[in-house]
Parts: sequence; C-alpha cells; structure tokens
Amino acid sequence: MIDLHTQLSSSFLMTKLTAELDYQLETKEDFIIGRFNAMASPCELLIDSKDLSLGQNLMSVAVNETRRIEAKFSRYKNDNLMHAINNSRGNPVFIDQETYQLLQFADTCYQLSEGMFDITSGVLRKIWKFDGSDNIPTATQVRQILPFIDWQKVVFTPTQIILPKGFELDLGGIGKEYAVSRVSNLMLSMAPNNSVLVNFGGDIQVSQVRKDKKAWQVGIENPTNAKGLAVVQIREGGLATSGDANRYLLKDNKRYSHILNPKTGYSIENAPRSVTVAGIDCIQSGILATLALLQGQQSETFLEAQGVTFWCYR
Amino acid sequence: MQLIKDKKVAATLAAATCALLGTQPAQANEQKDDAWQFDTAILYYGESDRVQLVEGVFNAKKDFGDEHIFSAKLVVDTLTGASASGAVAQPGVQTFTRPSGNGSYQVNAGETPLDDTFRDTRVQLSGQWTQPIFENTRVSTGFNFSNEYDYLSIGANASLARDFNRKNTTLSFGVSYQFDSIDPVGYAPIGLAQMQLASEFDSEEAFRTAFDATRDTEDKDKDTFDVLLGLTQVINKRMLMQFNYGYSVVDGYLNDPYKLVSVVNDTGLTLRNLHENRPDERTKHNVFWQTKYALDSGVIDVSYRYSTDDWDIDSHTIDSRFRWNISETSYIQPHFRYYTQSAAKFYEPFLEESTPLPMFASADYRLGEMDAYTIGLKYGQTLSNGHKWAVRAEYYSQRPTSDGTAAIGVLNDLDLYPSIDAFILQFNYHF
Amino acid sequence: MKKINIKNNLQKIVFLLCIAQLGGCASLGVEPWERQFLAKEEMALDAEGVDLGLDDHIYFSKEATSGGRAFAGGGCGCN
Repeated sequence: MIDLHTQLSSSFLMTKLTAELDYQLETKEDFIIGRFNAMASPCELLIDSKDLSLGQNLMSVAVNETRRIEAKFSRYKNDNLMHAINNSRGNPVFIDQETYQLLQFADTCYQLSEGMFDITSGVLRKIWKFDGSDNIPTATQVRQILPFIDWQKVVFTPTQIILPKGFELDLGGIGKEYAVSRVSNLMLSMAPNNSVLVNFGGDIQVSQVRKDKKAWQVGIENPTNAKGLAVVQIREGGLATSGDANRYLLKDNKRYSHILNPKTGYSIENAPRSVTVAGIDCIQSGILATLALLQGQQSETFLEAQGVTFWCYR
Repeated sequence: MQLIKDKKVAATLAAATCALLGTQPAQANEQKDDAWQFDTAILYYGESDRVQLVEGVFNAKKDFGDEHIFSAKLVVDTLTGASASGAVAQPGVQTFTRPSGNGSYQVNAGETPLDDTFRDTRVQLSGQWTQPIFENTRVSTGFNFSNEYDYLSIGANASLARDFNRKNTTLSFGVSYQFDSIDPVGYAPIGLAQMQLASEFDSEEAFRTAFDATRDTEDKDKDTFDVLLGLTQVINKRMLMQFNYGYSVVDGYLNDPYKLVSVVNDTGLTLRNLHENRPDERTKHNVFWQTKYALDSGVIDVSYRYSTDDWDIDSHTIDSRFRWNISETSYIQPHFRYYTQSAAKFYEPFLEESTPLPMFASADYRLGEMDAYTIGLKYGQTLSNGHKWAVRAEYYSQRPTSDGTAAIGVLNDLDLYPSIDAFILQFNYHF
Repeated sequence: MKKINIKNNLQKIVFLLCIAQLGGCASLGVEPWERQFLAKEEMALDAEGVDLGLDDHIYFSKEATSGGRAFAGGGCGCN
C-alpha cells in the first residue's frame, strides 16, 4: 500500500482525509477483497465482482459510512453525540432521527429481554475490569453503582434525550452490528447485481446471494477455541458473535463471565463463553446472541426456541 | 425467565431491525408545550434632578405546538420630571412660556433650562404570531399599539425566515409600518417661530393672539417604514452570529414640539428662543452584528451596531454581556455598553443673531455629538418550582460634546453640553 | 494479486473539498447532536427579550439611533 501520509501530509485537512479513506484493495480469482480498520476491529468487504472501479466506489462508501457511525456513537470520543449525551448532567440533548431510531431499537431490546438488555449498564465497567485477574468488585461498589442503571429512567423524544445525571449510554452492544447491517444495505443499493459480504471482526452480513449461488467463505476468530481461525461458509443473512472467551475474572476457582446482569450488577452465572448466531441480518443475530448469553444456563434452550442456527461455546 | 419460552423474540427483533435500517422516517411525535410562559419586569430609571421613569412589562407567550407561537406584551410606563429644552443657560434668570401657553416658568441663573411639564403615562400593547408555512420556513406577523396623552402609534409588521444548511443558517426578511399621530399640548409650534412671552404683551388677549400665531392647528403625524434583512449563522458548537441590515424611512412631523433653540447676540446673551425645526424626512441605515459564544458555564454576548442617516448622524454602539453561571441555578452578568454619535447637520447648540436663520435647527441634545456608557450587573436565579427571577442595576452616563461650535461670550462660562447620569434598577420574574 | 493506487482519486477529492471550503457558509455549522451548547436558553438571540425591549426604550428616548437588533420602529413620543 502506498504511504499516503508522506504523499499528502502537507495540510491537516489532507492528513485527516487520507486517514478516512485509508483502505486496501486486492483482487482474488473471482472477487475483490477490501480491507480497513475501524471500530477496533479488522474490517473487510468481499465484493463479488472483478471491476476495480466498482470496488473502489463501494469501499469508499463503506469506509465513510463506518467511520461516520463510529465517530458519532463511539463512547471513546469526546467530541461526539455520545459524549454530549453522557456529559449532559441531566440536561436535554438534541438528537437526530438516526439516534432516535437506535434508541427505539434499544428500547425494543430492553422490553424483549425484560430489562436484561440495558444500554445504561455500561457504567458497570467502572467496577468490573475483565483483565483475567481476581479483582471482583466489593458488594458496596456494586450497591453504589446500581442506582445509575435503569433504562426506564431515560426519557427521549424524536428530537431530544434526557439522561439522568450520573447515567451513561453505551451503544457498544449494538453499534458494530448496526454498522455492518447499514453498510450491507448500502452495498445492496449501490451494487444491486453484486453480492457483498461485510465482515467487521466476525460480525457479518451478506448483501445478497452470489450470482453462482456459491457460499462466501470467511475466516472468523474461532468461537469454540481461544486461538486460531474458523472458516465459516455463509450464503446470505447475518452472523454475529457475542461474548469473549478471553474476558473473564477468576476468583476462588469461580469464573466470572464478562456478561453482567444490569439488575444485580454481577456476572451472569453459567453463561457460555461466547455465542454465535446466524440470523436474518447482523443486528438481529447480534442481539439474539447477546440475549442468549444473558440467559446464562439456558442459552441453548432460548436459541433453540428461536429456530436459528447457533454455536454456544462453554 | 419467560423470555426463553417466547419464540417470538427472533421475529420481533427482525421487525425492529427493519424499522431501524429501513428508509421510512420515524413518525415524529410533535411535542406540544401547552403552558403559557409569562415574563414580567418592573424598571426604574432615574436621572439626577431630571427624568424619572417607572416601566412595567407583562409578556405572555404560548406555543400551540408545531412551532405555532403567540406572544403578547403589555407595557405601561410613567414618566415624570424634566429634560433639557434645548435653550442655553444664561447668567440671569430666564422666563419661558409653558407649551400650552397657560402660564410661564423661570429658570435660575446658570442652570440648564428644563421643560418641567414633562409628565406622561404610556400604554403599549403588542402581539405577534409565528408559525411555519412550509419546510424550514417561518412567517411571523404582529401589530402594536401605543398611546400617551399627546401621542398615538399603531403599527404592523411581517417577516419571513428560512433555515438552510441543517438549520445552521437562517435568512430573514421583514417589513414594518408604523403610523404615529402627534397631538402636542397647545398645538404644534411652527418651526423656528419665536416663543412668545406673556410679559412682553399688554394684555392676555394680545399674548394669546401672538401665541396662537406661532401654532399650527393641523393634525401632525408621521409614517415609518422599516425593512430588515437578517442572517443568523451557527459558526461552531459554541458560537453563533447574527448580521442584520436595517433600512428605515420616516416621513412626516419629526420635530419635538417642546424643544427650543436660543438665538444669542455677540456676547452670548439670549435675545429670544425659537421652536426647533427639523426636516420632515429621515432615511436611516443600520448594520448590526452580534456574536454569542457559549462557555462551559456562561455565555459571552457581544454586539456592534453602525448606523448612518441623511441627517448626518453616524453612530457606533458596542454592547457586551458576560453571563457567568455561578451555580446550576444562578448567574451573574456584567453588562457594558458604549455609544457614540455625531451631530445632526442641523444641530445648533444656539443660533447667532448675526448669521442668517437656517432652514432647520435643533438644539436637542439627542441630536448633538455625544458619548454614552452603561455599566451594569445582573443577578438571576432559577427557583425550585422552575420560576426565575433576576435583578439588575445599571448606571448610564451620557456625555454630550461640542461638535466644534465655538461658545460665545458668557456662554463660555456656562454648561452648553450638560451631561446626564442615570441609575437603572430592574426586577424580572418569569413563570 | 494487484494493489490499487488510490492517490489520484484522493487528490481529486481533496481538491473538491478545498473548493467547498471556499464556498463559505456551507462548511460552517454543526450537526443536530452537537447543539448542546447552542440549545441552551441563554444562547437564544432573544434571551432576555424583556431586558432588551426596556433598553431599546431607554436608549430610543435618549439617543438618536434606534433599531439594529430589530425594527427601528417608532411608537413612542419620547423622541
């Protein structure tokens, strides 16, 4: 890849721009593969075409859209909407339609899960640090943080949101899957005759079936093994994994999963290490996988009832 | 948990996903704020030994939903005291006829002649209706009515505002028309007619005849037509700016019927006083720029206005307020204003007997060269029930300056450009 | 396997962006969710409308200039 920074670093604007469009294109035998990094993951697009200019067009749109969503909803930035909401100290913050729709969606998830999927529960990260150590928070720490978790206390309208003081919103449980589905839909509208597989760190969606009906083959981190890659064959729909086999705490031989119960403030007992679901699209798959983890011991029972293909790794 | 038995989760999620990713815009539930909002204020303005004003404001505003906003305002003020009449101070006692012609008053040696009959109550009522007419465009129309015992004013305005660029830019265009009818005490004096003094006549009848000859019994009125072009621009997350251009034409009776101009001899002594006379048309251009900048705990508000007109009055105004939120519910706000104007081309602090009488002349201090400063401080608080109150105290200092006219004789020792110092106290309540 | 040079396209885009910047106002402004400061009540241009109205009345009656912020108007026998 060309070092764009040396070529064009003469102004701040240009440097910024190169960073935004920094991607790599490669041609394979019968498709094009584009890669970039975003949302703390390696991202790739498999494009069922040999037309490089189409590939460039699709990639620049995909990269821009992904960066847009990341910039807007990432809670690691201090100049975006999430930061504005999380630092509003109880004051109303204006939101746009996209944000409203995401909040509506989060609300549906909250209702469906009877309060287990709660985007205000991110504050628990302040006391739970899943670094493989034995640092279990104290009962007092948990008790002190619970008053700041309750999605029902968040008031929002199509134009504004009021987040109670001390609360935090975290769309991390939806954001990446949302970006995958958005990009996949964009690819479908831009390339109605070419299948595109969007893969952001294992969260996947295929825009449409390939012309020759062949399945896409894609390597994801093996959900059943902490190391190595698994090759997934996917023809259509979405695939997403929740859970992380490498994130847990261990104390007195008890394993604390990084899936936390927003009602108790503690780890979900007997949760699988990870759940992978193949569903209609990436978001649906991702939420189903997360909801399954939140069922703890009954993850598999839940997923079987939903009639979706899944893999649980315990 | 029941959840695991519910087979519909996957289907419900699929539907929710469609709603999230679909291109159909979410149905916006317009919020309707149906409460009336009231702003009230009472203001005291007092000049040392001169005008005192007490003014009350009652403003009501209601949002009927979908940005249909009605507001109405009632203002009542009472003015007492006197202001400078324009006649020059003299080393001896001076006698002036009251505007009505009934009686006279005297001004002591060395003192600035004041018109001490200044006493008036004014009632003003205005209403404004604003609503969207189509996407990103609002229309606003209003009326106003004001009445005092010698003055009646009615007016209407209409404006159109359109938002562009994700509502970051707003362009507006407005027009206003005002009709004012003036009914001065004792009728309007004829411009540059000499003030008659009863003491110079043998009989009351003779004085009355001469006095009436200086009066114009026709109705006096004026028309004011204003055009205002505005541009409001959001600069960044913390700053917004407004630029306005205003054009105003006033046509009709523009004199102040109670103002005088002294005619002095070459030693500076007053020979007679004339009623002022101004042109009957005035065209003004205003350029206004305002910037507001949000700090983490406050707002900086700075504005500048330049105005020029065909009376040759040019003025510059800088107005700045710095709101500092000292807690979640209270703030203090220092205010500073600077104003400077040049004199109207027909402004004459006095006329000389030896020079021919000009067509127009006024010694009204408000048309002369001056600088003025205001400094103030406001404190405001939001109460636990959501009501707000504020109090502000300001000091206004007006310093008229010579436009270059050299004083003559005794006038060198007298104050031709008396300054005004005023104290302002205001209390606001919002509920 | 072939790698694509996207530099030329980039330069075009940079050039276009510079033109857009020259266009002025189009590049000013904020997104709806960046209005947390601008949306404050005290940032409204008509915040303190009552104060501004009273000031206008005082200065209208003491000075030769009026208007600017709003219609210069008349409606008062005080000048």
